Amino acid sequence: MLNDILIKPFADMFGAPDFLLQVLWEGLVSGVLYALIALGFVLIYKSSRIFNFAQGIMVVFAALTLVGLYEKGVPAWMALPLTLGVMYLLAMSIERVVLRPLVNQPDIILFMATIGITLFLIGFGEIIFGGENKVMITEQLGIPTGSWEFEPFGGFLSIEQRDVTAVVGAVVLVAALLLFLNKSKMGRAIRALGDDHQAALSVGISLSTIWVVVWFIAGVIALATGIVWGSRAGVSFALEVIAYKALPVLMLGGLESVLGAIVGGLAIGILEKLFEIYWGQPLLGGNTETWFAFVLALIVLLFRPQGLFGERIIERV
Amino acid sequence: MRKVLKSTLLATSILFAAPAFAQDVLHVPNLSYRTGPFATSGTPLANGQLDYLNMLNERDGGLNGVKLDGTECETGYNTEKGVECYEKTKGNAVLTQPWSTGITLQVLPKSHVDKIPILAPGYGFSAMQDGKTFEWAFNPPSSYWDGASILLSTISDGNLDNLKGKKVALLHLDHPYGKEPIPLMEQLAAKHGFTLLPIPVGLKEMQNQSAQWLQIRREKPDFVLMWGWGAMNGGALTEAAKTKYPMNQFLGIWWAGHDADLKLVGEAGKGYRAVSWSFPNNDAKAMQDIKKLVIDAGKSQAAPGEFDTVFYQRGVLIAAMGVEGIKVAQDKFGTKVVTAEQVRWGLENLDFSEARIKELGLDGMIPPFKTTCADHTGHAGAWILEWDGAKFIKASDVMQADRAAIDPLVEVKAKEYAEANKPWPISTECK
Repeated sequence: MLNDILIKPFADMFGAPDFLLQVLWEGLVSGVLYALIALGFVLIYKSSRIFNFAQGIMVVFAALTLVGLYEKGVPAWMALPLTLGVMYLLAMSIERVVLRPLVNQPDIILFMATIGITLFLIGFGEIIFGGENKVMITEQLGIPTGSWEFEPFGGFLSIEQRDVTAVVGAVVLVAALLLFLNKSKMGRAIRALGDDHQAALSVGISLSTIWVVVWFIAGVIALATGIVWGSRAGVSFALEVIAYKALPVLMLGGLESVLGAIVGGLAIGILEKLFEIYWGQPLLGGNTETWFAFVLALIVLLFRPQGLFGERIIERV
Repeated sequence: MRKVLKSTLLATSILFAAPAFAQDVLHVPNLSYRTGPFATSGTPLANGQLDYLNMLNERDGGLNGVKLDGTECETGYNTEKGVECYEKTKGNAVLTQPWSTGITLQVLPKSHVDKIPILAPGYGFSAMQDGKTFEWAFNPPSSYWDGASILLSTISDGNLDNLKGKKVALLHLDHPYGKEPIPLMEQLAAKHGFTLLPIPVGLKEMQNQSAQWLQIRREKPDFVLMWGWGAMNGGALTEAAKTKYPMNQFLGIWWAGHDADLKLVGEAGKGYRAVSWSFPNNDAKAMQDIKKLVIDAGKSQAAPGEFDTVFYQRGVLIAAMGVEGIKVAQDKFGTKVVTAEQVRWGLENLDFSEARIKELGLDGMIPPFKTTCADHTGHAGAWILEWDGAKFIKASDVMQADRAAIDPLVEVKAKEYAEANKPWPISTECK
């Protein structure tokens, strides 16, 4: 038994290094995608202290809008900005109809409101788009769909061009986001609001504007996530489920940290894949990915309750 | 004064007449799921069911003049919500359709107490075939074990001994539905000397099955059989195409043979096969009537193109089975507004002969089958369908499952169920 846990997995890794590279690549791609979803949660939490339960359904809504517009005859190059427009309208509506009337309400009320938004978008989306699986307009958006094949160590490694695009796209998106948050006036306002709501308001920062901007950015991230995941397995309401993969990432990285979302996402993506392939499948019958990330996050929380990069809150009584 | 009296009399008569009107409806609730991760499978099935009932209401004024009400209750394929829906709709139901193996298993003991027949065509617990033990549950026209047997027969060219020394992976949803074929497959693997490799796919991993397909790459199974549902099918087919797993060695159960899932991979899915007890036939009379009276009349929720698909037309067949059970009960008991207990008798005496299938306007869509008091499945057998890059085509004649392997297992599992749920009533009427 000890041999199966401590020696055999590593022997398998070194025995088939090409396969190990494939596992690491798949883990990296998953990790980038988890990080992307987690970022949507972090941004909204940072600026408004709301845990946005609706992030998952926003992914579905954005992807369905994009594909739906294309199916209605709108060319892909035009469907993309139009979808962004729809996400902006959604952000405005959420701010106006849901968030504004709930200013100064306890956090739990705002959280419950996002559950309401989720249920509304599920019903609304189903009425407009139907429940059928739709094909993502991957090629029409100019995303390559072929694959590169290599023979490292005399073995076989396949890299999907679509996955490379997803990784590059995610890196560019995160870099742009960091630049926006750190260098622009609006970005600084968002950070100020995240640090201290009342202090930010007292210096004239508009809560309404910031919320619209932040929910819109979360919408942009949702669209990017929807395109990437949708190109892998179609666009349907099932995309909502992937949002749950972000929960352990947030536990691990901290709810308030952009860096935490990225590092947490990558760590979970790679580690859960390694564990599943070398320990989970041979010893536990597989499907360990459903719980491994949560266990990992819980272990981290034992030592760092605020997550790896979260802020340590000390309250004096 | 006379006017007031007249109005009062009219109102009173409407009030008292209302229960009579209300009775003239046959309630066949559907615990459907049009939202959530399985909506992609659930929506066309629910549309097909509803459109068939609506067509009968439009064309014939219902069934023998009694309107059919196929009210849906949304479960999202969630077992807890499914049980809630069952409780909510059971009041005036003549049958219930739980639409998930998980929900079926939960509702099974309740239906015995409430005396409402469960109609679970092509799904549920395979041992429900045993009508003596599962008096109130029906899974015509073929069970999952029938499907598993036919799939294994297909990959072994009709002789399971040909699989000796080979490896067969079972890529399945980690859910009661996905685990259903395992007992039979394990038994057959031991008997015929092949290795069975179950590969579970969790709900959250349905769209990112890279770990499962890495395992397939490492284990190099000779065949992959899929018990997929909803988004899992699309996820698996995409990964299979990505890893270049030979499609002619990849086969699925009937719920993994959905046009919309295959369209995700298109040409790359060419050669993929699925066992199916239904086949679409747009020219069948019932389908033409649905097109004319429901779809073209703008009374359907079906998306453009959905009418032609395997799942939509399977939904039609499922509704037809329920309606036929009611019709048989009406004829037997000489009443139009039958009770749930009478419909149970009807479902136990379904006779989908070639002639009756034609009479119903469903020719070519389902193989003949017949249920009995002891056999609640009927065992129609199934076709093997193959994806040609754009649509499913028939790739075999109707194939039959290995009864010698299945029936003893049904008996064992039914007995185990009754033991585990003691005191479980066993019918003494069936021989």
